[in-house]
Parts: sequence; structure tokens; C-alpha cells
Amino acid sequence: MSRAIQGPSAGSQRSVETLVSKLRRRQVVGSRDAALETVLVLRQVVSRAKFSNIDQLVAIIRSVGKRLVEAQPKEHTVGNTVRKVLHHIREEYNTASKGTAASSSKTTYTISNFVLQGQPRKQNVAPKSEATISLKEDDPDDPDSFSRALKPVLMEAIQDVLDELETVYDNVSKNAKDHIHSDEIILTLGHSRTVESFLKQAAHSRSFTVIVAETGPSYKGHEMAKSLSSAGISTFLVPDSSIYAIMSRVNKVIIGAHAILANGGMFAITGSLLAATAARVHSTPIVVCAGQFKFTPLWNLYHDFGALDFADPSSVLGFEEGSLVDKVDVLNPYYDYVGPELVDVFITNDGDHPPSSVYRLIKESYDDDDHEL
Amino acid sequence: MAPAPTLPVHPPNGPTAALTHPSAPPPQRSQKQMTKAERRELQESQRAAKAAAKAGAAPNGGQSKQPPKAAPAPLAATPRRQGKPSEATPKVPLTPGAKGRDTKGAPPMAEGDPLNARSLRIFSHFGLPKPVSVAKGDIHPTILRLALQFSNFKITGANARCIATLIAFKTVIQEYVTPPNNTLSRHLMTHLNPQISHLVAARPMSVTMGNAIRQLKLEISRTDIDLPEQDAKNALCQKIDNYIRDRIIIADQVIEETAAKKIKDGDVILTFARSSVVQKVLLGAMEEGRQFSVIVVDSRPMLEGKRLLSVLSSAGIQCTYILLPALGSVISEVSLVLVGAHSIHANGAVYARAGTALVAMMAKQHSVAVVVCCETYKYSDTVQLDSFTKNELAPTADSFSSFPLVKSRDALLTQNQINLEILNPLYDLTPPTSITAVVTEVGVIPPNSISSIPVALGRLL
Repeated sequence: MSRAIQGPSAGSQRSVETLVSKLRRRQVVGSRDAALETVLVLRQVVSRAKFSNIDQLVAIIRSVGKRLVEAQPKEHTVGNTVRKVLHHIREEYNTASKGTAASSSKTTYTISNFVLQGQPRKQNVAPKSEATISLKEDDPDDPDSFSRALKPVLMEAIQDVLDELETVYDNVSKNAKDHIHSDEIILTLGHSRTVESFLKQAAHSRSFTVIVAETGPSYKGHEMAKSLSSAGISTFLVPDSSIYAIMSRVNKVIIGAHAILANGGMFAITGSLLAATAARVHSTPIVVCAGQFKFTPLWNLYHDFGALDFADPSSVLGFEEGSLVDKVDVLNPYYDYVGPELVDVFITNDGDHPPSSVYRLIKESYDDDDHEL
Repeated sequence: MAPAPTLPVHPPNGPTAALTHPSAPPPQRSQKQMTKAERRELQESQRAAKAAAKAGAAPNGGQSKQPPKAAPAPLAATPRRQGKPSEATPKVPLTPGAKGRDTKGAPPMAEGDPLNARSLRIFSHFGLPKPVSVAKGDIHPTILRLALQFSNFKITGANARCIATLIAFKTVIQEYVTPPNNTLSRHLMTHLNPQISHLVAARPMSVTMGNAIRQLKLEISRTDIDLPEQDAKNALCQKIDNYIRDRIIIADQVIEETAAKKIKDGDVILTFARSSVVQKVLLGAMEEGRQFSVIVVDSRPMLEGKRLLSVLSSAGIQCTYILLPALGSVISEVSLVLVGAHSIHANGAVYARAGTALVAMMAKQHSVAVVVCCETYKYSDTVQLDSFTKNELAPTADSFSSFPLVKSRDALLTQNQINLEILNPLYDLTPPTSITAVVTEVGVIPPNSISSIPVALGRLL
């Protein structure tokens, strides 16, 4: 008999609770930081978990993931990281117990095989162990043998996820100079660290100009402009109202994303929809730089009101306006929904992808069971 | 408020100017012994030193002495570029490779690398907002005050500026005395011209001001020579009043009635920044008892929407206020977009406050009607193809206290960054494809028939 499903151990409970409260209070700012903290917490959970078969471990992680996602449902990278870790864990388990990678069946390639294959090729996680570990599940004499055998492999897999997150900026910027040619004028919005590192990397070998839109009411564009200009890139800072006016001279629009949805659309900082639409009108290519951890198995059914989250209205109309504050409704949406038809390419740490293949990437990186945590 | 930051003053390029410069210090070697290039280098370094000294003192005196040179003298062989203010008005484009680039108030970057200078030259033809100077000739105090109000953006808006200009001219005309051996119809124009140039130096002329002044000049030239002076002046003032009344006030009333008919009960009207005509339309519709709500979209640098917001909400209209980037979230709720214009062009394009083009584009994408409310005197028979041909830059961020208090002002001090420039175009061009109709006092016109406005008016504009 398997043991009853246990939650995470006491020590890791504490770290989970800490992260939950940080997420709820929005003390974790930025998708990458949220993902990093999630991986660290999951690593702790896995290292201290007691389980005797794979389902118990998966259940533990799913319960942790559910709590984290409920703490801050708008921060999609948390859920994505949990799904990624689960995917890796299942891969490792499958490799270890069956000896061969789950789906690399090199049978003769016939049409019927092709049609019947169903699941697309999964992202090949290189098996950590060459030899099959003898996994005895639910051993009544030695309940911990299973977890003892599997844990080192799992920790390495989680470390992989962590490494991928830590090197996201470098990998996205790897081919930056292939995407930007000399004397281009590039428009960007807000302060995306991925785009920032992308442009700085390209500046090593190309000379170009960047126009940064201020992006009210957070005015993050100011920091972006300062950071780019101090890296030696000639930068213009313009207010959002002039995006259409200058679009005729812009060669490329490069923006960052908050979360990329399964249909190829994305949530990005407010103002991105304006820039993308204006670029389409002028037939200017739109490039989105984002890490793979932002791919979310979500569909935006209610995209008309694309605002995912709202920020403080006083930065739009503050109390210094006096009596106006009572009589007027103020809206401060933080994100825009940009449809897949407005994006030309997603540049990720795993290569460049058009929006039409995002659904396949999501199928490959996450397991279907995990879409709902 | 102080006017735009002062610019270092440079006399025009060329060896002749330097030689006639009264206070050039004597060169180390005699001028004949130095080569031409070396002489020029020396002149430029002396000029830079003088400019640095002058920049500390009152800047106004120097500007007027330099008449704008339409054909800049060819640069010497030295590739070194000094920052120069663009002496030409925004309408005279700087030839590339000539006088270097605009400095926008930053200290002259004499040793800027050519790479840097080239990229920042992209928008150099926009020209700089110039400080109001004490011009040649005596400028009427009303005009002086008006110019100051223009340059400090105390009076903004095409209609407001035009009315203010015409009223100021009425005062000037009344106080004008024809000198002996001159006729009013001929001399008044030469008297008014420096006043007009002073206003243009404060802020580039709007199309409305241009059309009004052209009409005024026509009236002046038509003045009967035999009329006694006071009668002629009274007649001119009367003509000015008639112009304001017919082309602006009554036109606005007709537009208000026509456009208010487009507003139905339960509508959500979207408007951008502040147009005096749209304000009248909305207030008029409110008085007629229609039930509607308004979304006011606003944007830096001017943030004029707040004024409209306070007027509308005091009148009891339910308003929502958003900044321009948030437009994507609300556009699906909107039934009608009403915007004003600075001027309309023969091809149907609308030249309006920067951001109008974005609003019109988004509305068109969501099949929302875009209605431009515009009097016929704003018609300009030029055809503009993009927002670059003619535009105006606002002074940089520090002069505008339009940031919300949550942001520290220090974060905005980007003057000292070498590679960073701040551009604040004030206008943009909405192409005719984004516009559904233009409401004028002669009717509701689709954008491709705008060129028939002069015909509809029955007279030349």
C-alpha cells in the first residue's frame, strides 16, 4: 500500500509560505524574478519531499504550484515554471525507469505512423543517467529507496531549469546582431530587460538608433533610455503620443512581453497594442524578445478587455487635481493584449519562432495534465 | 515660467564674418601666414570661447543680430562640428552635412564623433523652439505680451491663438499712425510685418493665424485711399471682428449643432486632448438633454485633457480619464470618436495634436466612426504626406511640470546624457483613411472631398 499523499515537508512549507506572501503582496516584481524564486522554492520542496512513487511527488509539486498560482494569478511565469519542473521530472522518471527516452521510437516511417503519432516530439531532455536505475516503487520494506534513487537526477533536472532561467538574457541576445542591421531605427516601449540586453548586445557590432517611448503612466521608458544611452547607443526619448508620427521612419519595433499565450498572442505593457497596430499600418516588422519561461498554456477568451491587471490610478490623475478625483473615473490598465496577427517573430532563448508555432512549443515544453494545476 | 533654455549664439560661418567681428582677439601668427583651414579653426575656437562667455549673460541680445542665412557657407575641411542653433525657421530645411545639428540647449558638443552627429541629425529639420528675443524695431507691448504667452504655452490651440492674435492686431492698428507721405494701405503692412515675425519667433505660426493674417493683408490692401485714417482703422477693426465672428464663433455654433446630432443617448464618446470645438459640441449636446458619457484620452507633453475634463465634469457629464497607452483597453466600448484639428489639408489629412493619429487608427480598426470637427478657415491647400514635413517640438521635459508627483524630477534630468535626446513633437498627421467625416460649417464632408471646401465657400481662402 502506498503511503497517504503527503504535503511538502515542514521546512519547505515555510519557504512556500514565504513566497506565497511575497507574491500576494507583489513584492516579487518582474516575471524572471518570480520564476527564479519559484524554482528555488521547488528545489527545496523536492529535496525534502518524502515520496515512494512518482505520483506522490507530482501531487506534492502540484499542490505547491496551485498555492503559488493562486497567490498571484496574474504572474503567469510562476505557473509556467512549475509546469516546466513537472515536465522535466516526468522526463527524468521515464528515462530512468524505462531506459529509453519516452518517444524516440525509430520505427519505419509510414504515413499511418505519422498520423497516429499524435503527440508531437517532446523536448528531448538528455537523460541524466545512462544506465537504468533500478527503481522500486512502493517498496514496503524500504519506502525511501525510490526517492533516494531518483532525487539526484531530479535535482539536476531542476538545476537545468534554474540555469536556463539565469542565462535567459544571454541566450536571447545571442543572435542579436543578425536581427539588427546598421543604421536602423528601432522603436521600443517601456523597460524590458530582455530587450535591453538584446539591444546592448547588438550594439557591440552594429551602430543603430533607438527611439524609446515613455510609456505612461509608469514612464518606464525613461530608465530604458538612460540605460541604453549610457551603453553608447544613440537614443531618442519621445512621448507616447508621437508613436504614429515617427513610425514612418522606424525600421523595426522591438518590444518585450509579460506572458505569451498559446494562440501566439501576448500580454505586454500597456501601449504595446498602439505601437504594434501603428507598425502594422506602416508595414514595419514587430519583434518580441522573451524568455521561454513566458510561454503560458492559456487562451485569452475575453481579450476585448485585455487589461490583465490594473495599477494605481493616482499616477494617471492624482489627488493634486482636487475635486476632479470625485467626479471622474480613472483607468490605469497595466497590460495590453496584443493578438498573434500583430507579432512577426518571438525571439526566445530557444530560438526564433513565429506566433503560429507557439502552440506546438507549449505542447513540447509542458505536459497536458499540467495545464490546470 | 522661463522661456526655452538659451542657446549659445554663433555668428554665421565664413571667414568674412569673423574678420568683421569687432572683438576677435588677435591671432598668434599673422593671418596671412596661416593656411585657410588653420584660420578657420582659429575662428571657430574663438567663436566657441565667446559663445561660452556669452551663454552666461543675457542671451536675448545676440539672436536678433544674426539674420537667417538661407544658403549656409560651405564648411571648411575640418570635420569638427559645433552645435549650432538652427537659424532658419522650421520650414527651411537644413542641408545635410552643413551646419551641424541642433543642440536643444545642451552645451555645444564640438568634438562629437561623426557617428553620433549623424544619427541625431535625423530630426534636425524640426528646428528648435527659439527664445523670445528683443527684436529689431519697436514691437508693440501687446504683441510682446502675446509672444511671451505663446512661448510659455499659456495660450494654446489653433482657435485661441488666432483670436488672440487678431485682437492684438486690432490694438496695434488702432494705435498706428500713418507717417507723412505714406498711405495706410501700403505702410500698415510694413508696420505689421516685424510684429508678425516676432510672434513667429516665439512659436511657429499656426495655419489659422496664417490664414487670418493673409485675409487681413488682403483687406488692408483693399482699403480705400481716400478714406480718412481713423475711418480706415475702424473699418479694418470691424473687418477683423467680422472675421472672428463669421469664421470662428458662428462656424463653431453650426458645427456644434451638426455634430451634436450625431450623439445619441447612451453613447460613449471618446475625445483626445482638448479641442475647443469638441468641448462646445459636448456641452451643447449636454444642454439638449442627451445622455452620454465621455472618455477623455490624454498624453504628455501637454496633458491638455485635464482642462477639458474639469470643464466637462463641472457641467455634469460622466467622464472617464485615461492616458493614451490605455486606449487599447477601452476602445471596444466606444461608439464615436470626436477630435479637433489644427488644420486640414487638401488630400483630407488632418494635422492635429500628436496622438490624434493613434486614436483615429485604433478607432478605425474597431470600426468606430472618427469625426473631426473643424472650421473651414483651418483649411490649408498644401498636401502633407507625413508628420515630419512640418512639425513643432515642445521644449524639453524640464520646462513642463506635467509629470505626476509620484515621479521624482531628478529621474527626468537627462540633459547630461551624451547619446540621449528628447523629442516632443507637438503635432502629427492623421491620414485620410483613418477619418470617417469632417464636420465643418458648410457641411459634413468625407475626407476625400476636403479639397472642395474653397469651392463650397464660394471664395478663395
